[in-house]
Amino acid sequence: MTGRIAAIMLGCALLAATAIAKEHPGKEQILKDGYQGPKTCEACHPGKAREFLGTVHWKHASKVDHVDNLNPDEEHGMKNRIYTMCNGNDIVNNLKEVPPNALGKTKFTGCNTCHPGDHASDVGSTGPQAEQAIDCLICHSSKYDFSKRKPAKDKNGNVVMTQDRSTEAAANIGRPSIKNCMACHEAAGGGAMIKRGFSMAKDAEVHVTKGIICVDCHQVKNHKFPTGRDPNNWAHDGIYMTCVGECHTSKPHTDADYNKHTEKIACQTCHIPKTGGAFSKDFTKWEKQANGFYEPSTLKREVNETAPVYAWYNLTVSNTPTFIGPKGSRTDGKSKIYPFKIFQGKAYFNKKNGQLLSMDFAPPISNGDSLAGVASAAKILGIKDYEPVPGWQTIYFGSNHQVTPKNKALTCANCHAINGVLNFKELGYASKEIEKLTNPELYFEKLLKLQQENE
Amino acid sequence: MKKISSVIIVFAIILVASFTVIRTASAEEVKITGVISKIEIAADQKSAIAVIKDNKSSESITITITDEATLDKFKDKRILEGDEIRTKFEKDGDKNTSKMFKKTAGC
Ligand code: HEC
Ligand code: HEC
Ligand code: HEC
Ligand code: HEC
Ligand code: HEC
Ligand code: HEC
Ligand code: HEC
Repeated sequence: MTGRIAAIMLGCALLAATAIAKEHPGKEQILKDGYQGPKTCEACHPGKAREFLGTVHWKHASKVDHVDNLNPDEEHGMKNRIYTMCNGNDIVNNLKEVPPNALGKTKFTGCNTCHPGDHASDVGSTGPQAEQAIDCLICHSSKYDFSKRKPAKDKNGNVVMTQDRSTEAAANIGRPSIKNCMACHEAAGGGAMIKRGFSMAKDAEVHVTKGIICVDCHQVKNHKFPTGRDPNNWAHDGIYMTCVGECHTSKPHTDADYNKHTEKIACQTCHIPKTGGAFSKDFTKWEKQANGFYEPSTLKREVNETAPVYAWYNLTVSNTPTFIGPKGSRTDGKSKIYPFKIFQGKAYFNKKNGQLLSMDFAPPISNGDSLAGVASAAKILGIKDYEPVPGWQTIYFGSNHQVTPKNKALTCANCHAINGVLNFKELGYASKEIEKLTNPELYFEKLLKLQQENE
Repeated sequence: MKKISSVIIVFAIILVASFTVIRTASAEEVKITGVISKIEIAADQKSAIAVIKDNKSSESITITITDEATLDKFKDKRILEGDEIRTKFEKDGDKNTSKMFKKTAGC
């Protein structure tokens, strides 16, 4: 078994290595003719640009059928969702220049800076102009100059996202590296590692230590990205994945005691014992920075600093104005225990209907006035009848990366000791069962033997 | 074999522990936010220095960066002169060694 896993890991690593070593067959052509955007690629890869326009990375939305209280015929995602990790979306926080602050300084802000278009062709746009606006190189070039990718005003005063379209960048094409993906994923949620403590440094994720990268696990076909069931990652390309699949079976351990647990306990629960990033934000109170701009006040921790909360999850999501998180129970026959990071955010709700309101960040960034942000967002969305009242929302984030080395995975006593990480009562176990589940009888012999072997 | 390796480990722990004590005795951890006025990558590409103008004191502080992730961001210009960053560094005599170096960002 171990041998097999080693072989797979070696395989994955080799794949990654060969991708770097192998030169892109289009290189010479590109060096000769230069890069004119996607049409240069399409000379040899026809249809790729149009294909890309149909994916979550372009649309920031898809139909969603596993989340409560959504219209299944409409598309949902960063384009139009409202929650309290980032209290807006691509529509109300469309890329713009903020009004000058007290020091007379201004800057650009907008959610759709993490969209591989040029803003003239924005989230969800279609047609030949959109096809030519795609920034293929942000994912495919190993020589991308990120100083060339930034918001700016064009000669007509429109705000655009510029790109690196140099021949140098286009001549260095390959499979996307961690760095390419992290260009957007690292700072999701308002800064590096804020949303999930999502670090892909070698010491933060055991697979990366072994040379495995994002696209080895997320096996992208025709630009459709497989994803999992994090309760706050709604939009999907129609392909789901989890730890069990190409690389692991549901019984991967030589030790049967662990394999017995996999029916009720998700792999992540034992193998990702810590999470991190922001655990609370207050969008009603913006803090003034030394540069004169304001930021939503945020409580945060390091990448691996937060103990997760464990809950049953049947892969469907409860979605109300004050709670977004896992549904499931011990008895529904479908749920497993998963680890989550709980995040609590404060923002304004509409007293008239109880719904969470969204905020245009441009006003509060410049002067700290969060209600002006609510008013601006309401105007953009055409909401007239509202009365903002502050309130809290609780959100559960899945914990699906930061796999720890196996000697740090949770073992028997981490859970079955009286002060173990699981709250058996909350998880629905009766007192009699808990007595049994926290009795050293369950693990004493085994741990003693292990201890002797290691002494 | 097990025995020997555990002895080595114990020694290693003691060694590390004693170092940590010595280091913390003379080093202090400082956090600042400020704009980068200069980035210089060393010829061997293994380290860089960045000069930051502290927003609070307006003082210019020179910090040495050795972690790969941040060096990479200097090289592909994800972090540039003129960017505002938040940094945590260890001050040890004249030398400031970065422990954290991130671009500031709102939501
Ligand atoms: C002159 C023809 C030509 C041009 C122009 C060209 N390619 Fe390719 N490309 C190829 C060939 C041939 C292959 C290898 C066969 C295949 O995978 O389809 C390839 C492979 C690839 C791969 C797979 C690489 C891997 O290691 O798995 C990617 C990604 C790719 N090209 C992207 C691009 C992008 C982006 C552009 C535009 C900047 C582009 N190509 C321009 C010919 C070209
Ligand atoms: C630095 C890039 C970046 C910026 C800027 C950004 N996001 Fe995102 N956002 C992401 C990524 C990457 C994901 C998906 C991965 C994840 O959730 O970790 C995401 C996911 C989301 C989701 C969940 C979407 C779904 O399908 O359920 C929401 C909601 C969201 N973002 C809101 C916002 C809002 C509001 C803003 C602006 C105020 C914003 N984001 C700005 C990168 C960004
Ligand atoms: C959001 C990131 C992203 C963007 C933007 C992107 N790609 Fe890709 N592309 C991928 C990933 C991931 C793969 C799969 C790589 C693998 O696993 O080998 C891929 C694979 C490819 C391949 C090889 C496999 C295939 O499907 O034929 C080509 C060619 C390609 N992309 C071209 C393009 C072109 C042209 C553009 C711009 C129009 C583009 N890509 C934009 C992420 C991206
Ligand atoms: C240009 C910015 C950008 C880049 C580059 C990027 N992403 Fe994303 N990615 C996003 C945003 C934004 C979302 C969330 C969109 C939403 O949910 O509405 C997202 C969502 C996802 C999702 C979940 C939705 C889905 O399509 O399944 C996965 C998985 C993902 N990205 C993986 C990757 C990988 C792997 C790479 C590198 C090949 C990558 N991303 C590169 C911005 C980016
Ligand atoms: C070791 C394999 C592996 C690597 C490496 C990996 N992922 Fe994932 N990722 C997963 C799995 C498995 C899931 C879904 C788990 C589930 O929901 O059961 C996931 C989920 C996600 C999601 C959905 C939100 C979430 O966090 O659950 C996003 C976005 C994502 N990955 C992006 C990335 C990016 C970007 C990289 C590289 C920087 C990356 N992943 C590297 C295995 C991997
Ligand atoms: C109840 C806790 C628990 C669960 C659930 C669990 N594991 Fe493990 N796993 C462990 C521990 C502890 C180790 C280290 C055991 C050892 O080294 O003897 C381990 C080891 C491993 C290894 C290394 C095996 C080897 O022989 O080197 C892999 C791979 C693995 N687990 C994958 C998974 C996957 C995939 C799942 C979900 C199907 C899963 N685990 C579920 C606790 C768990
Ligand atoms: C992640 C926490 C976790 C770890 C680690 C863990 N267990 Fe468990 N274990 C549980 C839970 C939860 C149950 C109850 C599952 C159910 O409802 O069927 C359980 C059930 C059991 C049972 C069945 C008890 C009964 O009467 O039904 C035994 C025996 C057991 N575990 C032994 C072990 C041993 C031995 C180890 C170490 C090799 C271990 N567990 C590691 C959480 C854990």
